[in-house]
Amino acid sequence: MMDHARYRSAIMADPHDADDELLAHRESCAECRAFTEQLLRFEARLERALLVDIPTQAVVLPFARSGKAAQGARRWMAMAASLLLALVIAAGVWLTLPQRGLAADVVAHMAGEPDAWQRTDVPVPDADLNAVLKDSKLRLKPDAGMVSYASSCSFRGHKVPHLVVQTQSGPVTVMVLVHEAVRNPKKFDEQGYRGTIVPVPGHGSIAVLMRDHESGSGDVERIAARVDASIVWTR
Amino acid sequence: MNDEVGGKQRRARFQALCQSLRPDLLRFAFWLSRDRALAEDVVQESMLRAWKAQDSLLDETAAKPWLLTIIRREYARTFERKRFPTVSVDELIAKEEPMLAAAEEQNIGDIRDALMKLPDEYREPLILQVLMGYSTAEIARELDLSGPAVLTRLYRARQQLRAACGEDLSRDPQE
Repeated sequence: MMDHARYRSAIMADPHDADDELLAHRESCAECRAFTEQLLRFEARLERALLVDIPTQAVVLPFARSGKAAQGARRWMAMAASLLLALVIAAGVWLTLPQRGLAADVVAHMAGEPDAWQRTDVPVPDADLNAVLKDSKLRLKPDAGMVSYASSCSFRGHKVPHLVVQTQSGPVTVMVLVHEAVRNPKKFDEQGYRGTIVPVPGHGSIAVLMRDHESGSGDVERIAARVDASIVWTR
Repeated sequence: MNDEVGGKQRRARFQALCQSLRPDLLRFAFWLSRDRALAEDVVQESMLRAWKAQDSLLDETAAKPWLLTIIRREYARTFERKRFPTVSVDELIAKEEPMLAAAEEQNIGDIRDALMKLPDEYREPLILQVLMGYSTAEIARELDLSGPAVLTRLYRARQQLRAACGEDLSRDPQE
């Protein structure tokens, strides 16, 4: 039998723990529910605090060269990079546009899952799709289109649904970013991907993107609107 | 000729992989070291090691945890190689002020200060959980700890942070 102390100890170790016994206790105990809400508010601040801005310039990626010459070259490259870094810092040039950072992070996430982009007519099993959506408290109406890929992905410290919807224009990736609020729709065109991040009042935002060569003018916005309309929030 | 083309493709692929994971890797290294310049160096050196050891990465989808492990080891190695002067946490905070103060929201500044002061043994599992999305089992594996030990450290990490930020702890359980 779960008691208050055990519940609070567990939830302080992992505020997003969805263990059945914990959930049942929370449902039945108003005090622990209030405690959890307070903790989750702090957790949201903690998550934002950890997302420090990072320098915009690229890290110099070193490649294997052998011997002392390579080590010397690397040392010079490191010194040059440090000097450049110092100049950049001195100039106060830091990444200060969170929305641009969000788009870049969404695009960066794509590199880790190349298999998701396959054109296919095989839908992901309902059970798999529902499991992914359940964690984010949402479901999709049948008119959302055929979902061929569904994964619960780590993104900026949260598990988020990463879906691929097959459309006439090709595969479209949708990421439901309940923890990423944006004020206005933000279009982007980066590293071979074209997309948009649209606000969903009260539920963060949705990122929708296609590979550049598969997207026509207006495709992404149209699909984003369709996906937005087909989501049913369950909380 | 084919080898050369293959080598270029491997290099381009590796470069793309590193660039895509760069924000996460730098943030992880920063919170590990609490020093921006050191974080840049550690990530840079880790990329070198990763490039040399890339054959050991069998599954590209596991690249991120693989690189995070390399960064942790490289960071530890940094202290084996040279002895750093002892610096107070307040000096560290002052040094990293531009980075820590870049947040739009004022109310996260106190958490950042508290994170800087949090002992390594609590900060590291917390970063892995909150920033990197690791499960308790994954943290335990990465830090070579038992599951209960990880949970205890995460509990204490949050308790210390909340206390430092003036949160109400009256309803907290007694350890």
